[in-house]
Amino acid sequence: MTDTTTTSVGSGRHGGAEGTPILRARGITKSFPIGDRRLDVLHGVDIDVGRSESVALIGTSGAGKSTLLHVLGLLDSPTTGTVELDGVDAWALSKEKRASLRNLKIGFVFQFYHLLPELDAVENVLLPSMIRYGRGAYRRRKRELDTRARDLLIGFGLEERLDHRPEQLSGGERQRVALARALFHDPPLLIADEPTGNLDQATGSQVLELLFSEQKSRGLSLLMVTHDARLADRCDRTVYMRDGVVLDPSEVKDPLPVVP
Amino acid sequence: MYRVFLSWRYLLTRRTNWIGVGGIFVAVGALILILSIMSGFLESSRAMLRGDLSDLAIAPSQEGRGTDGSSASSTRTPAPLLERLFADERVEAASPRLVWYAQAAGDGRRTERLMAGSAGDLSAIQLIGVELRTPALLAEAAAAPLLAALGLPLVPTAGRSADGRARDEFSTTEFFHSLRREPLRGMRVQNPLLPFERPRSYRTDGRPAAAIVMGESLMSGLSLVPGDEVEVVTILPSPDGSVTSANRRFVVAGSFRTGAHALDLERIYMDRAELEDLLSGHREYSEILVRTKDYDEYGAALKVDLERDFLAAGLIAGGYGRNGEIVAFPGQVKTWEDSRQNLIGAIKNERVLMAIMLSLILVVSGFTIFSILTMMVTEKRRDIGILAAVGATPRGIMSTFLLIGFWNAFLGTLLGAAGGILGATYINDIEIWLSDLLGVTIFNREIYYFDEIPSDVEPMTVLWIAAGAFTSTLLFSAIPAWRAARVDPLVALRNQ
Repeated sequence: MTDTTTTSVGSGRHGGAEGTPILRARGITKSFPIGDRRLDVLHGVDIDVGRSESVALIGTSGAGKSTLLHVLGLLDSPTTGTVELDGVDAWALSKEKRASLRNLKIGFVFQFYHLLPELDAVENVLLPSMIRYGRGAYRRRKRELDTRARDLLIGFGLEERLDHRPEQLSGGERQRVALARALFHDPPLLIADEPTGNLDQATGSQVLELLFSEQKSRGLSLLMVTHDARLADRCDRTVYMRDGVVLDPSEVKDPLPVVP
Repeated sequence: MYRVFLSWRYLLTRRTNWIGVGGIFVAVGALILILSIMSGFLESSRAMLRGDLSDLAIAPSQEGRGTDGSSASSTRTPAPLLERLFADERVEAASPRLVWYAQAAGDGRRTERLMAGSAGDLSAIQLIGVELRTPALLAEAAAAPLLAALGLPLVPTAGRSADGRARDEFSTTEFFHSLRREPLRGMRVQNPLLPFERPRSYRTDGRPAAAIVMGESLMSGLSLVPGDEVEVVTILPSPDGSVTSANRRFVVAGSFRTGAHALDLERIYMDRAELEDLLSGHREYSEILVRTKDYDEYGAALKVDLERDFLAAGLIAGGYGRNGEIVAFPGQVKTWEDSRQNLIGAIKNERVLMAIMLSLILVVSGFTIFSILTMMVTEKRRDIGILAAVGATPRGIMSTFLLIGFWNAFLGTLLGAAGGILGATYINDIEIWLSDLLGVTIFNREIYYFDEIPSDVEPMTVLWIAAGAFTSTLLFSAIPAWRAARVDPLVALRNQ
């Protein structure tokens, strides 16, 4: 844990514009209509994630961190505010262009893995590439992509599980496949939503080792939601949230406990 | 890329999809099968309805006016009409026919007794004198053994003009040909090429009677067998306005069965020259039968042209039209379809009604696809969220689900079309197998007078059904696909 300012740090191989953060959000608010009333979840959040920087987003339940993560991951629109991803104002784009930006720039790792049950491990890893490339372009690259996907999975210790479907894999194996999918075409930003929340401690540790080693070696930026203070400690920086606002570190009196 | 890949994968892995494919298969197959059988029935019924009708028939009225306003009546001899007909290149063959009404009795009963009424063994009949060019055919038949000995084929040329166009009823109607071919319907005579040849069983003491062929029902009604004689009596008008009667004995050469009871009960065929002789030359012909080179192409146009030309030449009768112009009396030149308009229309109408009713199966199969896809969209909400998270657009997600509908439609239609065509082609084998299996007669050949279930697979009908099934399935897939595109990926990802 270093600091809680919005200053970005670091620059890796996803350098882009020198000094420009990979993710910059300003004045993010989010409200949900509930009957005649409005529920305000985010109240003007500013956050930056620097290139090659790892940021942990922690807070109590209902603090709004998942909502913020979805807005920053371009899955949900902010009520007001802007999100710049690699210098592009993402919410000013059309749905198609935003989907393409998400495909190119963001890799997601979810708590519940979210693999497609009908596809085997290799096919799940290849899914973002299938979406990225048109039919012809994908066919031309198929052999190369397939080899890369297999190599990546083998590198993650899944050489015996390449043709297995998610239901035939353990939780740790599923999360490693999900991580391979997120990393496959080298997105500059990795968004992880409690990636070990559904795993036992030993398996969770293995997955985390893999996650951080890949993040470092590839020079990716990482934004991770977690309840685990120990996990947050491994990140370059921690952002605390409460009641829809980002807290100043000095205001944090009761940091999260270490998950046993 | 992922749209095709994923949709195909979903199709293969979700068994419910095969219910959809099965539904379309049944709908398309049933439509093709039933409409092919209906088409077959229509064609076979048309052939039966057509009977001995030629492409066109010209029956000049007795009274009328020519285009110059002068009184015109039909010519007593068919020669001028035939001459003009053969001047038209579209005419393949033409032959005169003489029709007269009479009464007939078997067992040689006396005419005076029979004239008392139509009860008992007396039957009202239609005498039809046809032009078969029998003497010329007989001469050819006599030469047949010699030709056969020389190894040469016998090609009947009797009655043909120099340009190969024929003037006999073998060439103008299908009647005699069809009667020679079919096992259930047919002509039971000694020699189908020479139907008016006296049977060998016929023995005569005096002047031999001319031979006739009569309907099967009439023959059995009169208790006759080939070789028996039959008495025919008719009434002739005299020039002074009075009537005279004429009677003659004929030998029964054989019988025919058309399948149409009225025809089999009333008709007697004989050589036109014999009937003309019975009528003492009162009439030479009633109508001229015409075969065109291509009825579908020339039939309707030829009718119009002939009517105009014959009216102008005073060969058919006309009257004043509404605007004072001379128009032909209707029905003097008519196509065979004009004569059977109502019945053909009824069968066609029945086919259209059947198609509409059966199309409801397509709607049902469409609803099946709709239900399956709707269910799948609900089940796959999480997958939709995952796809959105890794970069799929709403349009891409919609296309994926639309493609699942497409595969359903494609496979269902393809298999259904193949099944329908195979079913229609082998319907008789299927019927025999089913009849044996169930122990019941599914198709009663006696009722329909068809030897087998008629079936005619029309490529255009198959195409229309396939296109209809395909389109309706895609339309029914569109709503669930649209709903898939509207699934909120967040809600989908949150739900576990």
